[in-house]
Amino acid sequence: MKLFATYHPSVLLVYFIGVIGITMFTMNPLLLLISFLGAFGFAIQLENKQIVFASFAFYIPMFFLISVTNPLFSHNGVTPLFFLNDQPVTLEAMLYGAAIGGMIVSVMYWCRCYNLIMTSDKFIYLFGKVIPKLSLVISMAIRFVPLFIKQIKHISTVQKTMGIYATKSIVDRVLSGFRIFSAMITWSLENAVDTAASMRARGYGLSGRTNFSLFRFTLRDGIMLSVILALLITALIGNNMGVLDYSFYPRMSRIQISPLAIITYITLLTLLFIPFVVEVEENRKWNYYISKI
Amino acid sequence: MELLHIKNLEFTYPDEKEKALKGVDLTVEQGEFIVICGQSGCGKTTLLRLLKREIAPAGEQSGTILYDGTKLSNLEDRTAACEIGYVMQNPESQIVMDKVWHELAFGLENMGISTPEIRRRVGEMASFFGIQTWFRNQTADLSGGQKQLLNLASIMVMHPKVLILDEPTSQLDPIGASEFIATLQKLNKELGLTILLVEHRLEDVFPIADKVVVMEQGRVILCDTPENVGQELKCVSQEHQMLMGLPSAVRIYNQLNVDDACPLTVRDGRGFLSRNFKKDRARLNVVKRKAEENGEAIVRLKEAWFRYERDLPDVLRGVDLEVYSGETFCILGGNGTGKTTTLKVISGQARAYRGKVEIQGKNIKEYKGIELYRHNIALLPQNPQSAFVKSTVEEDLNEVCKAMNYNKDEGKKFIADIIEKLGISHLVQKHPYDLSGGEQQKAALAKMLLLKPKILLLDEPTKGIDAYSKQVLRTILTDLKEQGITVIIVTHDVEFAALCADRCAMFFDGEVVSVDEPNTFFASNTFYTTAASRISRHMFENAVTCEDVVALCLENGLKERSNQLGA
Repeated sequence: MKLFATYHPSVLLVYFIGVIGITMFTMNPLLLLISFLGAFGFAIQLENKQIVFASFAFYIPMFFLISVTNPLFSHNGVTPLFFLNDQPVTLEAMLYGAAIGGMIVSVMYWCRCYNLIMTSDKFIYLFGKVIPKLSLVISMAIRFVPLFIKQIKHISTVQKTMGIYATKSIVDRVLSGFRIFSAMITWSLENAVDTAASMRARGYGLSGRTNFSLFRFTLRDGIMLSVILALLITALIGNNMGVLDYSFYPRMSRIQISPLAIITYITLLTLLFIPFVVEVEENRKWNYYISKI
Repeated sequence: MELLHIKNLEFTYPDEKEKALKGVDLTVEQGEFIVICGQSGCGKTTLLRLLKREIAPAGEQSGTILYDGTKLSNLEDRTAACEIGYVMQNPESQIVMDKVWHELAFGLENMGISTPEIRRRVGEMASFFGIQTWFRNQTADLSGGQKQLLNLASIMVMHPKVLILDEPTSQLDPIGASEFIATLQKLNKELGLTILLVEHRLEDVFPIADKVVVMEQGRVILCDTPENVGQELKCVSQEHQMLMGLPSAVRIYNQLNVDDACPLTVRDGRGFLSRNFKKDRARLNVVKRKAEENGEAIVRLKEAWFRYERDLPDVLRGVDLEVYSGETFCILGGNGTGKTTTLKVISGQARAYRGKVEIQGKNIKEYKGIELYRHNIALLPQNPQSAFVKSTVEEDLNEVCKAMNYNKDEGKKFIADIIEKLGISHLVQKHPYDLSGGEQQKAALAKMLLLKPKILLLDEPTKGIDAYSKQVLRTILTDLKEQGITVIIVTHDVEFAALCADRCAMFFDGEVVSVDEPNTFFASNTFYTTAASRISRHMFENAVTCEDVVALCLENGLKERSNQLGA
């Protein structure tokens, strides 16, 4: 279990909404770089390093594809590199494409981390607070899917072993799929009758249902949540004062270096590297303890 | 104190002429353990469901049910939901939530109980049932036994006063089943919980019950202590179908007509035999059943190795097996020893990665396409339900004929033959899912037999069916043997194997550790053997079925009366 994952789901949700929001709504190259590094660092801590590096095989071509596509359609900018079909391909458009590519890749890395951290039970817990019925339905659906798949496999092997519609011809395959599907519908309904009885038997439908969960909001969660919120607010104030503004067209603006800008960047750097730092610190602690034994 | 009082209860399902329950009277005292038994369709489930108001079937009802002095229909909602707990047959479909802990909390959430209280109760119950090691798991990943234990636990957290269970162990393997029954006994003894249990397998529950209720055609015909029921049932009818379902000790006692107390357990049974019978002749002459010498191997596994995935451990580790033409071969063994996997390898559902599998002397790899399933091999799955895909049994059967390219008249004749032989003509118009376990089994078997196989593979054919259906299955198997069909059965049911097998094989750790004809096989096992063998092994060498024991007893004769008093 990774340490960051043990924080209360609401803390995690706020954090992910915050960082993904920041990454999505900025075009500031420095900020995008920080965001990418934060997400990447976190992903490396969460997953096997090899898997993360292997994912480059997908992300790098995507990054270049976006960078190259933008200048083909957008001809803004004052620095033409060359002409293609009498249309200028500009440096600004190219870098703008790169920024968008970087933004998308960073967001995808953050989502990857989100998927690993926010497991279904956390998600259900959070939404159960808002819409109790929905959380129950989601939970039942999550339970039902593996059951359904198992039964499909089961029926299809049994049918295959009887040798009915089991040749490799397309007609047979379609027919066999159709038969199994119709059997599965009956099976699901049949199953649902039992499940409904079991729910009623345990008093489902009485008024005043509560929502139980294993998560507890502790002091540690409180501290982490306040830190995250404080950093988010500071960054937003900085943003509203315009220190993060950046534009590519008609020509690229400079990244501001005022005291306020530096403070804002440091705030964002801290915010985006929280999970990375938390995990690294945890590893260090463990190694320390192990070395003491 | 009376907890449940049922008076003159009658019930009719809508659109049915005959009453499902006819004047049932029953009182349940606080803390009693009551076992209800009877053939399928005798009204057991109807009775139980009527006791649980939330899931009572719709229909016409007369008579009264009092719970703790109050009419059941006047009971407060929360009391009715909490105090009467109900566990159903199918472990899978009763589970609602995706996580074990959430399933445990489900009932309490419905009651609107606060989080700290739920936390306490769930924690307490998880420790009592030993659930803590899989507390955070997905419910879909649990074994059958674990699932049923979870169902029980998630009812126990609601603190019921009476627990109603409808064949809770019928879908479990014997180990899971005994664990479940042991847990029930613990609940009854340690918490004084009142329990009403419907069961087919009486071997385990008969001795621990306070009262046994026998039902027949919607009536309670007997309600007494297990000892008395064991004796009285015979007086009701010599040929009563329920007699077959009784524990081995009771059945041996019933067939011997001795003036002594009725034994219930293996221990009592041993005492009963040594008290009353001489042991001059200890060996039964076993007629050598048709076996190796006259048949050639129709299925042969040579050093077969198999694993499900590259990185998983081997399930079969060099299985050597020869099954001869025309014999009935039983494969026994614990869970996860590779029994079912062996069937898969034989039926071509799975492929051995090393070693050789030969069907009728031809390597299984040389069978192309569906050739293997045309007049060669048919496999009856563990859950017969999965054999059906149509909306009536008849449609399913017709489809097989079409797939097998029988012409119309031929197909009709085959179907009529098989239907008659299996005695399922009243079932053909029904939806396969509406049939009971035993009926489903027969219908699925009909489908397999239509394929006209030479080798029939059965995976756990006795799972979830009552003693009478087992008997019927046995006659069907004898009949198949006469037709020369080779039958390979994978089963946990040692009693069944002892009765119908020509040879038995024991699987352990992905290998065959012993193969022998049943009398020798079970007589040489000490634990993994039939109850009849355990009852009689101190006197007789190779008696493995109740009939064997009875035959030897009759031959040896009673001890002198004076000896009996001396012992």
